[in-house]
Amino acid sequence: MKELSRREFASLVASAAAPLVFGQGVAGSPAITADDVIARIKAQIGVPWKPETIDGLKAGDGTTVVTGVASTALATLAVLRRAADAGANFVVTTQPTFYSRADTRQPPSGRSGRGGIAAPPAPAITTDLPPADPVSAAKNSLIDERKLVVFRLNEHWRLRQPDPLADGIAQAMGWTKYRSLADPRRFDVPVQMLASLVSTIQNNLGAHGGIRVVGDPQTTVRRIGLLPGSTPIQASLALLPDVDAIVAGEVREWESVEYARDHVFGGEKKALILVGRVVSEEPGMRACADWLKTVTPDLPVRHLPAGDPYWRPA
Amino acid sequence: MKAGEIVERIRKNLGVPWRDASYRDTFKSGGPDTEVTGIATTAFVTLEVIQRASASGLNMIVPHEDTFWNDRDDTAIVQDDPLYKTKRDLLAKGNIAVFRIHDHMHAQRPDFTYVGSARLLGLEATHETAPGSHRFVIPQTTLGAFAAEVQRRTGARALRVVGNPDAKVSRIQLGVGYATPAINSRDVDVVISGEQQEADGAFDSPAYVLDAATLGLAKGWIMLGHVISEEAGMLEMANWIKSFVPELPVQLVKAGEPFWGPK
Repeated sequence: MKELSRREFASLVASAAAPLVFGQGVAGSPAITADDVIARIKAQIGVPWKPETIDGLKAGDGTTVVTGVASTALATLAVLRRAADAGANFVVTTQPTFYSRADTRQPPSGRSGRGGIAAPPAPAITTDLPPADPVSAAKNSLIDERKLVVFRLNEHWRLRQPDPLADGIAQAMGWTKYRSLADPRRFDVPVQMLASLVSTIQNNLGAHGGIRVVGDPQTTVRRIGLLPGSTPIQASLALLPDVDAIVAGEVREWESVEYARDHVFGGEKKALILVGRVVSEEPGMRACADWLKTVTPDLPVRHLPAGDPYWRPA
Repeated sequence: MKAGEIVERIRKNLGVPWRDASYRDTFKSGGPDTEVTGIATTAFVTLEVIQRASASGLNMIVPHEDTFWNDRDDTAIVQDDPLYKTKRDLLAKGNIAVFRIHDHMHAQRPDFTYVGSARLLGLEATHETAPGSHRFVIPQTTLGAFAAEVQRRTGARALRVVGNPDAKVSRIQLGVGYATPAINSRDVDVVISGEQQEADGAFDSPAYVLDAATLGLAKGWIMLGHVISEEAGMLEMANWIKSFVPELPVQLVKAGEPFWGPK
């Protein structure tokens, strides 16, 4: 989808609010509620909706009348503000909004190490308690005040075939014509130096400080495998022997990073390019906006990238 | 001296009970009967570390992390991979014993991973709020200046920082490896650690710091990378082992940072 300016988007929102636009599921009424949008997503996602899932409504009221839809990899405060300002009050995010997998509006507090801690139940408000976490409080206030609805779409989006997140990266890189027939995550691109591939990835995926690379910058690569999101060693074991470079979101350093490093030291022309989980999933959420346009053709839909969270000192 | 004797001395000097239930702190190559000519400590038993240790006549490697690319060193996962055979053959050829020390290193007091990382980063004990708190109050600086200093001291090529570079910070919480403290403690401005998942975990600090920055709150998250975070502690580990294995050469053989980053 072409990026729309805020004004263009606002004008789309204005036309969407006109009484001539009717929601498919709400005959006789122009209003499309969040529940309507969610029902359409579940009906059209193309895979059975799981009874136990991390996906679903995370904040907001299902009866809210939806004025516009925005997709993003991460519903940060900045993304939510931009969505609200643009009139898109239904936000589809692939990563949690409330800072943990539990994704509850009262996030876990305090420290967490390996394995983490379970989220404590939200305490009743009394004057004895310390003030609420200012970051969570601000996010909750924004959601309430601007009547936003946040919907997580992760597992079900990824169950579609071919993997829309890998597809999104391929589109952003201009690689779709190079897709391998044998493996939809593999692309046989024109031969190039690793350093130049990394720099193209940086530009096309909008990465800043988050890119980390294992491999000789001068080595040449042609066969690229994509592992967006977070992947375990098994994914690298299955893919790296058949490609020159893996472009991944996030892996465990004690797994795939050292596996790639040993390949390189062993004299093989291999590389692992980590772009970060959010950056790796953002093109797939741009593709999600395109799909959502078919789900809610009666609403304006746009993609709002969260951006690379990382920077590196000069 | 046999590897088993060295492990016995480690257990005796540890200061905390040995937990036989640890699947991590076991032999990954060789065994108690391997005759040892010298000891190399390291973060990871990379192919390069094996080669350099061998060349220095050190045939017992004591790593902090796994050898076969998974935490349990479950060889069933990797046994069909030619690189596993390459690594195993190189270890066998050098008659190399690999004995991992991870869980007991973190249980030991002090935990050398923290000692090493604090030394590397220049976080002085006089600035620590209490011994073992791993919380340091330093003269106020900006996140940008502090991160630049961390980069200079560590030589990291692929340091990653989240937060507003102009944020004024002074309260630093040090974590190590994958044991990264969450950033939402009230009395912490910056968390430094090795590695942590970016999202969908027990607490997603990057997302929190982005939102805190949007609100103008001073929060920062600095990821050194797993090796840089914990390998400095393996120098402490080498010196400690040397104190009760004076008969053999003991030294750190660095795995080093695996990454580079584009400008």
